[in-house]
Amino acid sequence: MNSLDLLLLLTTLTTLLALLMGRWRPVGWLLTLLYALQLALLADLGLTLQGGGQVVSQLQLTLLGYPIGLVLDGFGWLFAAITLLIALFSSWFGSGAWSAERSDRRAQHLTLSLNVTAMLLLLASGDLLTLFITWELVSWSGFALMAYAGGRAADAALRYLIYAIAGAMALLAALLLVEQQGGSFQFAAVATAVTTLDSAGLWLLLLLFFTGFGVKMALLPFHLWQAEAYALTPGPGAAFLGAISSRMGLFALMLVVVKLIGLEHLAALAIPYTFLDAQSLLAWIAAFTIIIPTFIALTQSDARRLLAWHGIGQTGYMVLGIVIGTELGVAGGLLHVFNYATYQAALFLSVSAVIYRTGTADLDRLGGLITRMPLAYVTMLMGIIGLAGLPPMNGFVSKWMVYKALLDNGQPLLFVAAIIGTLGTILSVYKLIHNTFLGQLRAEHQAVREVPWSMSVPMLALAAIGFITGWMPGLALSAIDVAQQALGIATLPHHLGGFSLSNGNLDMLWVVGALLASIGIGALIFFAGNRRHLTHQLDNYAGGHFLSSSHRYHYSHNFYAGLMHLIGPWYRGTFRWLEQALINSVEVGGNAALGLFRNSAMLLYMVAALTLALWLLL
Amino acid sequence: MTAEATVLLIVLPLFGAFLLPTIGRINASAAHWSGALLLALLPLLAIELWNLHSAGALPPLALGGYLAPLGIVLYPDRLSLTLVLALTLGSLLLWPRLHQNDATGRQATLMLLLVAGGNGLALAGDLFNAFVFYELVAVTSYALAAKLGSGDGYAAALRFLILSALGSALGLLGIALIYTLTGTLNFAHLAQHAAAFNSPLGITAFVLMVLGFGVKAELFPVNSWVPEVYGATSHRIAGLLAGIVSKLALLLLLRLITLLYSDVEVAGWLLFTLGLLGLISGELAAWRATDLRHTLAYSSIGQLGVMVMALSLPGESGMVALLALALHHLVVKPGLFLFSDGWHGTSLAGAARRGPWGGVLFLLFALSLIGVPPLPGFWAKLLFIREALAAGGPWLLAIAIILTATVLETAYLFRFLRRAYSRHGSAGYGAIGPDAALRASAFGATLVVGLLLLNPLTELLQQTAAEIIDTPSYIARVLDVPVEVTP
Repeated sequence: MNSLDLLLLLTTLTTLLALLMGRWRPVGWLLTLLYALQLALLADLGLTLQGGGQVVSQLQLTLLGYPIGLVLDGFGWLFAAITLLIALFSSWFGSGAWSAERSDRRAQHLTLSLNVTAMLLLLASGDLLTLFITWELVSWSGFALMAYAGGRAADAALRYLIYAIAGAMALLAALLLVEQQGGSFQFAAVATAVTTLDSAGLWLLLLLFFTGFGVKMALLPFHLWQAEAYALTPGPGAAFLGAISSRMGLFALMLVVVKLIGLEHLAALAIPYTFLDAQSLLAWIAAFTIIIPTFIALTQSDARRLLAWHGIGQTGYMVLGIVIGTELGVAGGLLHVFNYATYQAALFLSVSAVIYRTGTADLDRLGGLITRMPLAYVTMLMGIIGLAGLPPMNGFVSKWMVYKALLDNGQPLLFVAAIIGTLGTILSVYKLIHNTFLGQLRAEHQAVREVPWSMSVPMLALAAIGFITGWMPGLALSAIDVAQQALGIATLPHHLGGFSLSNGNLDMLWVVGALLASIGIGALIFFAGNRRHLTHQLDNYAGGHFLSSSHRYHYSHNFYAGLMHLIGPWYRGTFRWLEQALINSVEVGGNAALGLFRNSAMLLYMVAALTLALWLLL
Repeated sequence: MTAEATVLLIVLPLFGAFLLPTIGRINASAAHWSGALLLALLPLLAIELWNLHSAGALPPLALGGYLAPLGIVLYPDRLSLTLVLALTLGSLLLWPRLHQNDATGRQATLMLLLVAGGNGLALAGDLFNAFVFYELVAVTSYALAAKLGSGDGYAAALRFLILSALGSALGLLGIALIYTLTGTLNFAHLAQHAAAFNSPLGITAFVLMVLGFGVKAELFPVNSWVPEVYGATSHRIAGLLAGIVSKLALLLLLRLITLLYSDVEVAGWLLFTLGLLGLISGELAAWRATDLRHTLAYSSIGQLGVMVMALSLPGESGMVALLALALHHLVVKPGLFLFSDGWHGTSLAGAARRGPWGGVLFLLFALSLIGVPPLPGFWAKLLFIREALAAGGPWLLAIAIILTATVLETAYLFRFLRRAYSRHGSAGYGAIGPDAALRASAFGATLVVGLLLLNPLTELLQQTAAEIIDTPSYIARVLDVPVEVTP
């Protein structure tokens, strides 16, 4: 039994343990340990996968004459590592005080472990049919994770399910097209199919794959389901979903588009009468996926929804980087997957901590929690710096790489689109942290305390990982190398602090060092300066009156009123209108079909057939 | 065990049906359970005959010593025996309960008659006997559909009777046309004269028979009885009709199209068109329906539309796809219908929380119906879509519609699951009764066994399909070497 089989066995055992003993309180800790064990196993596997190696599982099946096999290469390994890392911290968060009083503990643990198992199977799929089967497993386990809380979460999950099944059907069609053209479901058949298909056929194949995987990734125009579904999933589940679940779509899309079909074929597919080809079309879809959801996030008043919309937007950066295809671009895109996972999970966990203590995530009903929940504040601060893509966090490195790759490749318009996205991100994350932690503490939150250590340690750990990999990106880039080699793309030469290319370099050791030094100097001046006198926030007066906690002086509602006045008319809700139009057409069709059955003209048809027969005879 | 035992498949249940009322006058319970016991013997007999057939020792049976093409021939091949097995096992799992309104054991008698008729239909070697047994099945199904003590049930059954009887009349007219064309009604003999059916008269006969026998197969446009009858009858009978009786009608159409009309293109396109329209109308109506029973009724119209389309798929692989779809539907639909009484109206909310095992079963059936791998439903759909893709042309439209229909299926099935798992249900009694739960578990177990034995099952289906399309072999077996049964 090799390491891959051991890993799969471990993950199945984890799921079984969660199923059988999930109600028992200590099981959460046991599961967390098991995730850590799997992560260690995976780290060990990573050493053997360097240089484009792969590990073949001994578990081989043949169903209906089709071979089903599991093979892990460096590309899948990277995503597996991120999955297990986030699962570890989510499970840690959810094992202690979070689930102590909850009755759905077993569902929480079971759905998480089911998702991890399904994802590991997907990442290790060795042919297209296995990819499809495990893809469905991932989709359905994601549904279970979103739906187990019931209520509005289940409604959002049902909406997700419809999208997911539609995507899966497109995927099935693509698979069968490849089998018909390429002869089998093996990965190599895709290359054969690409050569035998004409231009229209190749477009159809690409669109089918794009639809199938794009639904999971929430790329435009399939993005409407994700924000609601991820936002309403409780606690650690939301962190896991937001961080890594939709990346499975990215994994599959990049596997098919970059590795199996090849970006050069995409570049060769031109859209008639335009200057676009399939590759630039994908890049522009990614660019719009950055801009539109980010600005929708700006208007959200629920913290979780804000983060979920950002999740959709950040996918655009990953796709953009990878679609450019150069070493720098692909490295930037893949690094962004890792970076995003760390800070998004940290952000979701800190918002969950706020919900745990205050009971709400409504940005209009919070404020001033920095004095009561400093650790959650620090986590969120580091998270939003990462999300906005500013030093010293890791988000800065990957975004820098994507920007540089775009400019190096002569794509100034895409670069501007990416920058606009960053602007929107900076604006909306400030709103997030301001409305939650800064400003005036509400009277009903005076008694709020910091969350227990079982919850604050994992989220601080994630933020710390973000900081360390931001300070020393070389650590993460070594892992990215393994994935890039598996994709067949040359690796980016890097060192501990970043990279140096002929036309520019990035050394985070110096950047973060300079930043910390300047903060140090500022702190020195601040603390060694005049004596400070600490007063209570409300020990103050304004307009001749003394402040009192019964008045709200905290500006939080309709935060960007001025900006919305300018760009508000641009929010047209076109995609929602399209979705509703589709649903309405199905309703009309359904009514027609139902009417068909009500107006029973059966006798009429039979009499008509009889008459026809008699006429023919006589 | 010799080849003559084939006739026992028809005679035993008939005999039992006639005996049951007599025993019932003495002891109703004894009659009820002896009927079930008799029925339980039949699958064992069918398996023995299957083994004989695999060994090559099961020739067609000419009853009374009168040889084909003039005599009555029973043709036990893999397809017939598969359907016999499915019918007998299905009827056993859907055996009626001992009911206080049914002191004479009417339901049990009718079930045995249905089984007798169905076995005869499956085994029939000539068109007229196929029709006779089809009528037996039809009449018993009218009587079974009339739910005891329900006014709605009687009204629906009466309408069912009128419409289906008219359909049978059309079918009979079609048979008469075939007789005028060729002068024979024996399947093998008709297959020899297959060239005669590529004519206006032959095609008219086909249209009449398709519309006539299509009533039971829930064919578009003669399926408007389905929602009404399934809505008014008991959940067992709805499952029986939708799952098993419809497959018997499909079998008849299958024999027609493979033996008589295999070279007539119009026949294939007619089935394709009617199947496609049935699929579209059935799935859309199911999406719009509000209660589980009607949703499942429309859903079965849609699924049978796919199977009717599969009838016109060329080649052996097409037949495998048809058999896979039919057998899968046969197991899943009755299982789903068993939930339609308990998961109804106000007791739907929270039903899966009150009865967790029921929730798991419904989830299993729903996932298999939608076609989620690795459940058998996925493989059946995969086979069908693969063959459709290979056929090309208008079949590509069919593929697009089937894939869309799958999305609709997910929507309407999971609407019910969503409500069943909601936390706002009424506390108290379990959702479906223990009786229905037991039967549903049996169907669920069959599905899981089918999943575990997927590879051997596929091989069996491939062998069956190879036999079905092998018309020359059919002719040779029936007309050359029949077995004489001395009276």
